[in-house]
Amino acid sequence: MAHAVLVVSDIAFSDLLSDPYPIYKRLRDMAPAVYVEAARLALVTRFDDIMTIERDCETFASSNPGSLVNKVMGHTMMRKDGEAHAMERRAIEVSFRPGTIKNHWAARFEAISDRLISQIESDGEADLFDALAAPMASLALIELLGLKDVSWQTLARWSQALMDGAGNYSGDPEISARATEAAAGVDAAIDAVLAWHRENPNPAVLSSMVNAEHPMNLEQIRANIKVIIGGGLNEPRDSILSLTLGLLSNPLQRAEVMANPDLWPLAFEEAVRWISPIGMYPRRVTRDVELSGVKLRAGDQIGLCVAAANRDDRRFANPDNFDVFRPKQPHLAFGAGPHFCAGAWVARQLVGRIVVPMLFSRLKNLRLRPDAPARIHGWVFRGPVSLPVAWDL
Amino acid sequence: MPTITFITAEGKQHAVTAEIGRSVMEIALEKNIPGVVAECNGSAACATCHCYFDPAFAAAIGPIGEHESDMLDFTASPRRPESRLSCQVRVADALDGMTVHIPAVQ
Ligand code: FES
Repeated sequence: MAHAVLVVSDIAFSDLLSDPYPIYKRLRDMAPAVYVEAARLALVTRFDDIMTIERDCETFASSNPGSLVNKVMGHTMMRKDGEAHAMERRAIEVSFRPGTIKNHWAARFEAISDRLISQIESDGEADLFDALAAPMASLALIELLGLKDVSWQTLARWSQALMDGAGNYSGDPEISARATEAAAGVDAAIDAVLAWHRENPNPAVLSSMVNAEHPMNLEQIRANIKVIIGGGLNEPRDSILSLTLGLLSNPLQRAEVMANPDLWPLAFEEAVRWISPIGMYPRRVTRDVELSGVKLRAGDQIGLCVAAANRDDRRFANPDNFDVFRPKQPHLAFGAGPHFCAGAWVARQLVGRIVVPMLFSRLKNLRLRPDAPARIHGWVFRGPVSLPVAWDL
Repeated sequence: MPTITFITAEGKQHAVTAEIGRSVMEIALEKNIPGVVAECNGSAACATCHCYFDPAFAAAIGPIGEHESDMLDFTASPRRPESRLSCQVRVADALDGMTVHIPAVQ
Protein backbone atom coordinates (compact mmCIF):
# COMPACT_ATOMS: atom_id res chain seq x y z
CA MET A 1 0.00 0.00 0.00
CA ALA A 2 1.34 3.38 -0.96
CA HIS A 3 1.21 6.14 1.62
CA ALA A 4 0.49 9.84 1.29
CA VAL A 5 3.31 12.26 2.00
CA LEU A 6 3.78 12.83 5.75
CA VAL A 7 3.75 16.39 7.00
CA VAL A 8 6.16 17.75 9.59
CA SER A 9 5.41 21.09 11.22
CA ASP A 10 7.78 21.20 14.19
CA ILE A 11 10.92 22.15 12.27
CA ALA A 12 11.90 25.82 12.47
CA PHE A 13 13.42 27.48 9.44
CA SER A 14 16.23 28.80 11.63
CA ASP A 15 17.12 25.21 12.64
CA LEU A 16 17.49 24.27 8.99
CA LEU A 17 19.77 27.24 8.46
CA SER A 18 22.01 26.62 11.43
CA ASP A 19 22.40 22.85 11.02
CA PRO A 20 20.17 20.84 8.67
CA TYR A 21 22.00 17.55 9.17
CA PRO A 22 20.18 16.25 12.29
CA ILE A 23 16.91 17.20 10.56
CA TYR A 24 17.96 15.36 7.41
CA LYS A 25 18.69 12.26 9.44
CA ARG A 26 15.27 12.38 11.02
CA LEU A 27 13.58 12.83 7.61
CA ARG A 28 15.65 10.08 5.99
CA ASP A 29 14.63 7.63 8.69
CA MET A 30 11.00 8.70 8.51
CA ALA A 31 9.99 8.29 4.85
CA PRO A 32 11.19 8.75 1.26
CA ALA A 33 9.47 12.15 0.99
CA VAL A 34 8.30 14.35 3.87
CA TYR A 35 6.53 17.68 3.55
CA VAL A 36 8.33 20.18 5.76
CA GLU A 37 6.13 23.17 6.44
CA ALA A 38 9.00 25.55 7.11
CA ALA A 39 10.46 24.74 3.68
CA ARG A 40 7.07 24.57 1.92
CA LEU A 41 8.33 21.55 0.00
CA ALA A 42 8.23 17.77 0.20
CA LEU A 43 11.87 16.93 0.89
CA VAL A 44 13.51 13.84 -0.58
CA THR A 45 16.55 12.84 1.44
CA ARG A 46 17.63 9.29 0.53
CA PHE A 47 20.39 8.70 -1.99
CA ASP A 48 18.64 6.05 -4.08
CA ASP A 49 15.40 8.00 -4.34
CA ILE A 50 17.19 11.08 -5.66
CA MET A 51 19.03 8.94 -8.21
CA THR A 52 15.71 7.47 -9.35
CA ILE A 53 14.19 10.93 -9.68
CA GLU A 54 17.12 12.34 -11.63
CA ARG A 55 16.91 9.51 -14.15
CA ASP A 56 13.29 10.35 -14.97
CA CYS A 57 13.09 14.00 -15.95
CA GLU A 58 9.73 13.58 -17.63
CA THR A 59 8.04 12.74 -14.36
CA PHE A 60 10.26 15.06 -12.32
CA ALA A 61 10.70 18.23 -14.33
CA SER A 62 13.06 21.14 -13.83
CA SER A 63 10.85 23.54 -15.73
CA ASN A 64 8.47 25.38 -13.48
CA PRO A 65 5.96 28.00 -14.58
CA GLY A 66 5.91 29.74 -11.21
CA SER A 67 9.65 29.64 -10.68
CA LEU A 68 11.18 32.65 -8.99
CA VAL A 69 14.44 31.92 -10.80
CA ASN A 70 12.66 32.64 -14.08
CA LYS A 71 11.18 35.83 -12.71
CA VAL A 72 14.50 37.15 -11.47
CA MET A 73 16.86 35.88 -14.16
CA GLY A 74 14.75 35.13 -17.21
CA HIS A 75 14.33 31.70 -18.80
CA THR A 76 17.54 29.91 -17.87
CA MET A 77 18.60 26.43 -18.94
CA MET A 78 18.43 25.36 -15.31
CA ARG A 79 14.65 25.51 -15.54
CA LYS A 80 14.32 23.81 -18.93
CA ASP A 81 14.13 20.15 -19.88
CA GLY A 82 14.86 17.89 -22.80
CA GLU A 83 16.14 19.29 -26.08
CA ALA A 84 15.62 22.95 -25.10
CA HIS A 85 17.98 22.41 -22.16
CA ALA A 86 20.42 20.23 -24.07
CA MET A 87 20.86 22.73 -26.86
CA GLU A 88 21.71 25.63 -24.58
CA ARG A 89 23.96 23.42 -22.51
CA ARG A 90 25.87 22.25 -25.57
CA ALA A 91 26.50 25.87 -26.51
CA ILE A 92 28.50 26.53 -23.33
CA GLU A 93 30.04 23.08 -22.92
CA VAL A 94 33.24 23.88 -24.76
CA SER A 95 34.21 26.46 -22.12
CA PHE A 96 33.95 23.80 -19.41
CA ARG A 97 35.70 20.88 -21.11
CA PRO A 98 38.46 19.26 -19.10
CA GLY A 99 40.83 19.94 -22.00
CA THR A 100 39.95 23.64 -22.11
CA ILE A 101 40.40 23.82 -18.35
CA LYS A 102 43.81 22.19 -18.46
CA ASN A 103 45.14 24.15 -21.42
CA HIS A 104 43.54 27.50 -20.85
CA TRP A 105 41.93 28.16 -17.47
CA ALA A 106 44.36 26.40 -15.14
CA ALA A 107 47.20 28.88 -15.69
CA ARG A 108 44.86 31.82 -15.17
CA PHE A 109 43.41 30.37 -11.99
CA GLU A 110 46.91 29.69 -10.72
CA ALA A 111 47.92 33.31 -11.29
CA ILE A 112 44.90 34.61 -9.36
CA SER A 113 45.47 32.17 -6.51
CA ASP A 114 49.15 33.06 -6.34
CA ARG A 115 48.36 36.77 -6.19
CA LEU A 116 45.76 36.39 -3.42
CA ILE A 117 47.96 34.16 -1.28
CA SER A 118 50.94 36.50 -1.77
CA GLN A 119 48.82 39.36 -0.47
CA ILE A 120 48.21 37.68 2.89
CA GLU A 121 51.37 35.60 3.21
CA SER A 122 53.14 37.96 5.62
CA ASP A 123 50.09 38.57 7.83
CA GLY A 124 50.27 35.39 9.91
CA GLU A 125 46.51 35.14 10.23
CA ALA A 126 43.37 35.74 8.18
CA ASP A 127 39.75 34.85 7.76
CA LEU A 128 39.96 32.74 4.62
CA PHE A 129 36.42 33.61 3.61
CA ASP A 130 37.23 37.24 2.76
CA ALA A 131 40.94 36.90 2.25
CA LEU A 132 40.93 34.05 -0.22
CA ALA A 133 37.79 32.05 -1.00
CA ALA A 134 35.40 34.86 -1.94
CA PRO A 135 37.79 36.86 -4.16
CA MET A 136 39.18 33.68 -5.70
CA ALA A 137 35.78 32.33 -6.73
CA SER A 138 34.67 35.70 -8.02
CA LEU A 139 37.81 36.51 -10.00
CA ALA A 140 37.85 33.02 -11.53
CA LEU A 141 34.23 33.41 -12.59
CA ILE A 142 34.89 36.83 -14.16
CA GLU A 143 37.63 35.24 -16.29
CA LEU A 144 35.56 32.21 -17.14
CA LEU A 145 32.56 34.25 -18.26
CA GLY A 146 34.70 36.73 -20.19
CA LEU A 147 33.55 39.88 -18.35
CA LYS A 148 35.76 42.96 -18.27
CA ASP A 149 36.03 45.88 -15.87
CA VAL A 150 33.92 44.21 -13.21
CA SER A 151 35.40 44.05 -9.70
CA TRP A 152 35.21 40.86 -7.68
CA GLN A 153 33.15 42.64 -5.06
CA THR A 154 30.60 43.72 -7.66
CA LEU A 155 30.23 40.24 -9.09
CA ALA A 156 29.90 38.79 -5.59
CA ARG A 157 27.21 41.34 -4.78
CA TRP A 158 25.29 40.54 -7.98
CA SER A 159 25.53 36.85 -7.28
CA GLN A 160 24.14 37.22 -3.77
CA ALA A 161 21.37 39.59 -4.89
CA LEU A 162 20.27 37.23 -7.69
CA MET A 163 20.21 34.23 -5.39
CA ASP A 164 18.35 36.11 -2.68
CA GLY A 165 15.84 37.16 -5.33
CA ALA A 166 15.43 33.59 -6.52
CA GLY A 167 14.74 32.49 -2.94
CA ASN A 168 12.49 35.41 -2.07
CA TYR A 169 9.38 33.34 -1.39
CA SER A 170 7.91 35.93 0.96
CA GLY A 171 8.09 38.63 -1.75
CA ASP A 172 10.17 41.09 0.30
CA PRO A 173 10.22 44.28 -1.86
CA GLU A 174 13.74 45.24 -0.80
CA ILE A 175 15.15 41.89 -1.91
CA SER A 176 13.28 42.16 -5.22
CA ALA A 177 14.65 45.63 -5.79
CA ARG A 178 18.21 44.49 -5.18
CA ALA A 179 17.78 41.53 -7.53
CA THR A 180 16.39 43.80 -10.25
CA GLU A 181 19.31 46.17 -9.85
CA ALA A 182 21.80 43.29 -10.04
CA ALA A 183 20.09 41.91 -13.14
CA ALA A 184 20.42 45.31 -14.84
CA GLY A 185 24.09 45.44 -13.86
CA VAL A 186 24.74 42.03 -15.37
CA ASP A 187 22.93 42.98 -18.60
CA ALA A 188 25.06 46.10 -18.94
CA ALA A 189 28.26 44.17 -18.27
CA ILE A 190 27.29 41.68 -21.01
CA ASP A 191 26.47 44.46 -23.47
CA ALA A 192 29.89 45.97 -22.88
CA VAL A 193 31.78 42.88 -24.10
CA LEU A 194 29.48 40.84 -26.33
CA ALA A 195 30.54 42.34 -29.66
CA TRP A 196 34.18 41.80 -28.73
CA HIS A 197 33.55 38.12 -27.98
CA ARG A 198 31.72 37.71 -31.27
CA GLU A 199 34.71 39.05 -33.16
CA ASN A 200 37.37 37.34 -31.05
CA PRO A 201 36.37 33.73 -30.43
CA ASN A 202 38.00 32.46 -27.24
CA PRO A 203 37.30 29.88 -24.52
CA ALA A 204 35.19 32.22 -22.34
CA VAL A 205 31.53 31.35 -21.79
CA LEU A 206 30.25 34.51 -23.50
CA SER A 207 32.29 33.68 -26.57
CA SER A 208 30.98 30.10 -26.60
CA MET A 209 27.42 31.38 -26.37
CA VAL A 210 27.67 33.65 -29.42
CA ASN A 211 29.94 31.47 -31.50
CA ALA A 212 28.28 28.08 -30.90
CA GLU A 213 26.84 26.00 -33.72
CA HIS A 214 23.43 27.06 -32.42
CA PRO A 215 24.24 30.46 -30.91
CA MET A 216 22.10 31.77 -28.10
CA ASN A 217 20.03 34.90 -28.63
CA LEU A 218 20.44 37.90 -26.32
CA GLU A 219 17.60 36.82 -24.05
CA GLN A 220 19.13 33.37 -23.58
CA ILE A 221 22.57 34.83 -23.01
CA ARG A 222 21.33 37.22 -20.35
CA ALA A 223 19.36 34.58 -18.50
CA ASN A 224 22.06 31.93 -18.59
CA ILE A 225 24.87 34.28 -17.58
CA LYS A 226 22.75 35.26 -14.59
CA VAL A 227 22.17 31.68 -13.58
CA ILE A 228 25.89 30.97 -13.85
CA ILE A 229 26.68 34.05 -11.74
CA GLY A 230 24.04 33.10 -9.19
CA GLY A 231 25.04 29.47 -9.10
CA GLY A 232 28.75 29.51 -9.93
CA LEU A 233 30.29 31.65 -7.26
CA ASN A 234 29.24 30.23 -3.92
CA GLU A 235 30.11 26.67 -4.76
CA PRO A 236 33.84 27.06 -5.44
CA ARG A 237 34.04 29.59 -2.61
CA ASP A 238 32.37 27.27 -0.13
CA SER A 239 34.23 24.16 -1.22
CA ILE A 240 37.61 25.91 -0.90
CA LEU A 241 36.67 26.54 2.72
CA SER A 242 35.13 23.12 3.44
CA LEU A 243 38.13 21.29 2.03
CA THR A 244 40.48 23.49 4.05
CA LEU A 245 38.40 23.00 7.19
CA GLY A 246 38.20 19.24 6.68
CA LEU A 247 41.95 18.88 6.40
CA LEU A 248 42.77 21.32 9.22
CA SER A 249 40.44 19.38 11.51
CA ASN A 250 41.98 16.02 10.61
CA PRO A 251 45.77 16.26 10.94
CA LEU A 252 46.47 12.64 9.96
CA GLN A 253 44.55 12.93 6.72
CA ARG A 254 46.19 16.23 6.04
CA ALA A 255 49.64 14.72 6.49
CA GLU A 256 48.83 11.92 4.06
CA VAL A 257 47.45 14.28 1.43
CA MET A 258 50.49 16.54 1.75
CA ALA A 259 52.76 13.52 1.36
CA ASN A 260 50.88 12.21 -1.65
CA PRO A 261 49.45 14.96 -3.89
CA ASP A 262 47.55 12.36 -5.93
CA LEU A 263 45.11 12.30 -3.02
CA TRP A 264 43.95 15.89 -3.60
CA PRO A 265 41.13 14.92 -5.97
CA LEU A 266 39.80 12.40 -3.42
CA ALA A 267 40.02 15.01 -0.68
CA PHE A 268 38.04 17.44 -2.83
CA GLU A 269 35.27 14.92 -3.57
CA GLU A 270 35.05 14.11 0.13
CA ALA A 271 34.79 17.79 1.07
CA VAL A 272 31.80 18.36 -1.22
CA ARG A 273 30.16 15.17 -0.02
CA TRP A 274 30.69 16.19 3.62
CA ILE A 275 29.38 19.75 3.24
CA SER A 276 27.62 19.99 -0.11
CA PRO A 277 27.63 23.64 -1.27
CA ILE A 278 24.24 23.19 -2.96
CA GLY A 279 22.24 21.32 -0.37
CA MET A 280 18.84 21.25 -2.03
CA TYR A 281 17.28 21.97 -5.40
CA PRO A 282 13.67 21.73 -6.55
CA ARG A 283 11.82 19.55 -9.02
CA ARG A 284 8.16 19.55 -10.11
CA VAL A 285 6.14 16.34 -10.25
CA THR A 286 4.34 16.17 -13.61
CA ARG A 287 2.10 13.11 -13.05
CA ASP A 288 0.82 11.01 -10.17
CA VAL A 289 3.62 8.65 -9.27
CA GLU A 290 4.87 6.43 -6.47
CA LEU A 291 8.30 7.04 -5.01
CA SER A 292 9.45 4.07 -2.90
CA GLY A 293 5.91 3.58 -1.63
CA VAL A 294 4.97 7.23 -1.20
CA LYS A 295 2.29 8.74 -3.41
CA LEU A 296 3.30 11.95 -5.11
CA ARG A 297 0.76 13.91 -7.08
CA ALA A 298 1.01 15.87 -10.30
CA GLY A 299 1.90 19.45 -9.42
CA ASP A 300 3.73 18.60 -6.18
CA GLN A 301 6.87 20.62 -5.59
CA ILE A 302 9.65 18.49 -4.19
CA GLY A 303 13.09 19.41 -2.89
CA LEU A 304 15.95 17.05 -3.59
CA CYS A 305 18.23 17.29 -0.56
CA VAL A 306 21.51 16.13 -2.05
CA ALA A 307 23.25 17.22 1.15
CA ALA A 308 21.11 14.69 3.01
CA ALA A 309 21.71 11.97 0.40
CA ASN A 310 25.44 12.56 0.71
CA ARG A 311 25.17 11.64 4.40
CA ASP A 312 22.77 8.74 3.90
CA ASP A 313 24.08 5.99 6.18
CA ARG A 314 22.54 3.39 3.89
CA ARG A 315 25.35 4.35 1.57
CA PHE A 316 28.17 6.05 3.48
CA ALA A 317 29.51 4.58 6.72
CA ASN A 318 29.95 7.21 9.49
CA PRO A 319 28.57 9.79 7.08
CA ASP A 320 29.17 12.80 9.33
CA ASN A 321 32.93 12.26 9.38
CA PHE A 322 35.28 13.87 6.89
CA ASP A 323 37.24 10.87 5.63
CA VAL A 324 39.36 11.15 2.52
CA PHE A 325 39.97 7.41 2.66
CA ARG A 326 36.39 6.19 2.63
CA PRO A 327 35.69 3.68 -0.16
CA LYS A 328 35.34 5.62 -3.39
CA GLN A 329 31.78 5.86 -4.60
CA PRO A 330 29.70 8.48 -6.30
CA HIS A 331 28.11 11.32 -4.34
CA LEU A 332 25.44 13.78 -5.38
CA ALA A 333 27.16 17.10 -4.69
CA PHE A 334 27.12 17.93 -8.41
CA GLY A 335 23.60 16.61 -8.84
CA ALA A 336 22.81 13.87 -11.35
CA GLY A 337 21.13 13.53 -14.70
CA PRO A 338 21.02 16.03 -17.55
CA HIS A 339 21.51 18.95 -15.15
CA PHE A 340 24.70 17.47 -13.69
CA CYS A 341 26.83 20.47 -12.75
CA ALA A 342 28.39 21.94 -15.89
CA GLY A 343 31.14 23.45 -13.76
CA ALA A 344 32.15 20.22 -12.02
CA TRP A 345 35.51 19.94 -13.77
CA VAL A 346 36.29 23.61 -13.28
CA ALA A 347 35.62 23.19 -9.56
CA ARG A 348 37.74 20.05 -9.34
CA GLN A 349 40.67 21.81 -10.95
CA LEU A 350 40.25 25.19 -9.29
CA VAL A 351 39.60 24.00 -5.75
CA GLY A 352 41.12 20.55 -5.55
CA ARG A 353 44.16 21.02 -7.76
CA ILE A 354 45.09 24.69 -7.52
CA VAL A 355 43.85 26.85 -4.66
CA VAL A 356 43.78 24.58 -1.63
CA PRO A 357 47.03 22.70 -2.44
CA MET A 358 48.74 26.08 -2.97
CA LEU A 359 47.36 27.37 0.31
CA PHE A 360 48.69 24.41 2.30
CA SER A 361 52.08 24.43 0.65
CA ARG A 362 52.64 28.18 0.94
CA LEU A 363 51.39 28.95 4.47
CA LYS A 364 53.55 27.03 6.93
CA ASN A 365 51.92 25.25 9.82
CA LEU A 366 48.49 26.46 8.74
CA ARG A 367 46.07 25.90 11.62
CA LEU A 368 42.61 26.69 12.96
CA ARG A 369 42.32 29.29 15.70
CA PRO A 370 40.85 27.82 18.89
CA ASP A 371 39.86 31.33 20.00
CA ALA A 372 37.90 31.95 16.78
CA PRO A 373 36.10 28.83 15.60
CA ALA A 374 34.85 28.42 12.03
CA ARG A 375 31.18 29.17 11.45
CA ILE A 376 29.08 27.19 8.96
CA HIS A 377 25.66 28.32 7.83
CA GLY A 378 22.81 27.62 5.43
CA TRP A 379 20.87 24.70 4.01
CA VAL A 380 19.86 25.37 0.37
CA PHE A 381 23.37 26.76 0.03
CA ARG A 382 25.69 25.76 2.84
CA GLY A 383 29.29 26.44 3.67
CA PRO A 384 31.67 28.07 6.12
CA VAL A 385 30.87 31.77 6.41
CA SER A 386 33.97 32.39 8.48
CA LEU A 387 37.20 30.39 8.65
CA PRO A 388 39.82 32.14 10.80
CA VAL A 389 43.27 30.57 10.50
CA ALA A 390 46.83 31.33 11.55
CA TRP A 391 50.23 30.27 10.21
CA ASP A 392 53.94 30.69 10.98
CA LEU A 393 55.88 33.60 9.55
CA MET B 1 18.53 -7.37 -31.52
CA PRO B 2 22.30 -7.46 -31.08
CA THR B 3 23.83 -9.19 -28.06
CA ILE B 4 26.40 -7.37 -25.95
CA THR B 5 28.39 -9.01 -23.17
CA PHE B 6 29.38 -6.89 -20.20
CA ILE B 7 32.28 -8.18 -18.10
CA THR B 8 32.65 -6.70 -14.63
CA ALA B 9 35.98 -5.95 -13.00
CA GLU B 10 35.60 -9.21 -11.02
CA GLY B 11 35.23 -11.10 -14.30
CA LYS B 12 31.50 -11.79 -14.10
CA GLN B 13 29.85 -11.99 -17.52
CA HIS B 14 26.42 -10.57 -18.35
CA ALA B 15 25.20 -11.24 -21.89
CA VAL B 16 22.23 -9.04 -22.77
CA THR B 17 20.20 -8.23 -25.83
CA ALA B 18 20.35 -4.54 -26.58
CA GLU B 19 17.81 -2.34 -28.28
CA ILE B 20 19.16 -0.58 -31.37
CA GLY B 21 19.61 3.16 -31.06
CA ARG B 22 19.96 3.24 -27.26
CA SER B 23 23.32 4.03 -25.72
CA VAL B 24 25.40 1.23 -24.23
CA MET B 25 25.23 3.12 -20.91
CA GLU B 26 21.42 3.03 -20.99
CA ILE B 27 21.47 -0.70 -21.69
CA ALA B 28 23.83 -1.29 -18.75
CA LEU B 29 21.58 0.65 -16.36
CA GLU B 30 18.42 -0.96 -17.63
CA LYS B 31 19.87 -4.46 -17.16
CA ASN B 32 21.30 -3.57 -13.74
CA ILE B 33 24.88 -4.26 -14.72
CA PRO B 34 26.99 -3.21 -11.74
CA GLY B 35 29.82 -0.72 -12.23
CA VAL B 36 28.34 1.72 -14.72
CA VAL B 37 27.39 4.78 -12.67
CA ALA B 38 26.46 7.40 -15.28
CA GLU B 39 26.01 10.33 -12.92
CA CYS B 40 25.12 12.77 -15.70
CA ASN B 41 22.73 10.41 -17.45
CA GLY B 42 24.40 10.65 -20.82
CA SER B 43 25.40 14.30 -21.05
CA ALA B 44 29.07 13.35 -21.49
CA ALA B 45 29.84 15.48 -18.44
CA CYS B 46 30.75 13.09 -15.65
CA ALA B 47 33.00 10.33 -17.07
CA THR B 48 31.42 7.76 -14.72
CA CYS B 49 30.16 5.57 -17.57
CA HIS B 50 33.69 4.76 -18.73
CA CYS B 51 34.14 1.25 -20.20
CA TYR B 52 36.72 -0.66 -22.22
CA PHE B 53 35.31 -1.69 -25.59
CA ASP B 54 36.38 -4.70 -27.62
CA PRO B 55 39.00 -3.25 -30.05
CA ALA B 56 37.68 -5.48 -32.86
CA PHE B 57 34.58 -3.27 -32.91
CA ALA B 58 36.37 0.09 -32.89
CA ALA B 59 35.47 0.85 -36.51
CA ALA B 60 31.86 -0.22 -36.03
CA ILE B 61 31.52 2.02 -32.97
CA GLY B 62 32.90 5.05 -34.78
CA PRO B 63 35.45 7.68 -33.84
CA ILE B 64 35.81 9.35 -30.43
CA GLY B 65 34.48 12.91 -30.31
CA GLU B 66 36.77 15.71 -29.15
CA HIS B 67 34.75 16.35 -26.02
CA GLU B 68 34.52 12.64 -25.22
CA SER B 69 38.26 12.34 -25.60
CA ASP B 70 38.88 15.24 -23.20
CA MET B 71 36.59 13.65 -20.70
CA LEU B 72 38.34 10.29 -20.97
CA ASP B 73 41.51 11.93 -19.66
CA PHE B 74 39.72 12.30 -16.33
CA THR B 75 38.35 8.83 -15.70
CA ALA B 76 38.86 7.23 -12.29
CA SER B 77 40.28 4.04 -13.82
CA PRO B 78 43.17 4.40 -16.26
CA ARG B 79 42.38 5.41 -19.82
CA ARG B 80 43.35 2.84 -22.43
CA PRO B 81 43.17 2.87 -26.23
CA GLU B 82 39.89 0.95 -26.01
CA SER B 83 38.34 3.39 -23.49
CA ARG B 84 35.03 5.03 -24.37
CA LEU B 85 32.21 6.77 -22.57
CA SER B 86 29.48 4.19 -22.87
CA CYS B 87 26.83 6.93 -23.04
CA GLN B 88 28.34 8.07 -26.34
CA VAL B 89 28.21 4.64 -28.00
CA ARG B 90 24.95 3.75 -29.77
CA VAL B 91 23.81 0.17 -30.12
CA ALA B 92 23.72 -0.99 -33.75
CA ASP B 93 23.50 -4.33 -35.55
CA ALA B 94 27.21 -4.10 -36.28
CA LEU B 95 27.92 -4.34 -32.53
CA ASP B 96 26.41 -7.81 -32.22
CA GLY B 97 28.77 -10.05 -30.23
CA MET B 98 30.80 -7.18 -28.73
CA THR B 99 32.26 -7.43 -25.23
CA VAL B 100 32.46 -4.43 -22.92
CA HIS B 101 34.75 -4.51 -19.88
CA ILE B 102 33.67 -2.42 -16.93
CA PRO B 103 36.50 -0.76 -14.99
CA ALA B 104 37.05 -1.32 -11.27
CA VAL B 105 36.18 2.25 -10.27
CA GLN B 106 34.26 5.09 -11.89
S1 FES C 1 26.91 9.20 -18.35
FE1 FES C 1 28.12 10.91 -17.75
S2 FES C 1 29.67 10.87 -19.22
FE2 FES C 1 28.46 9.21 -19.79
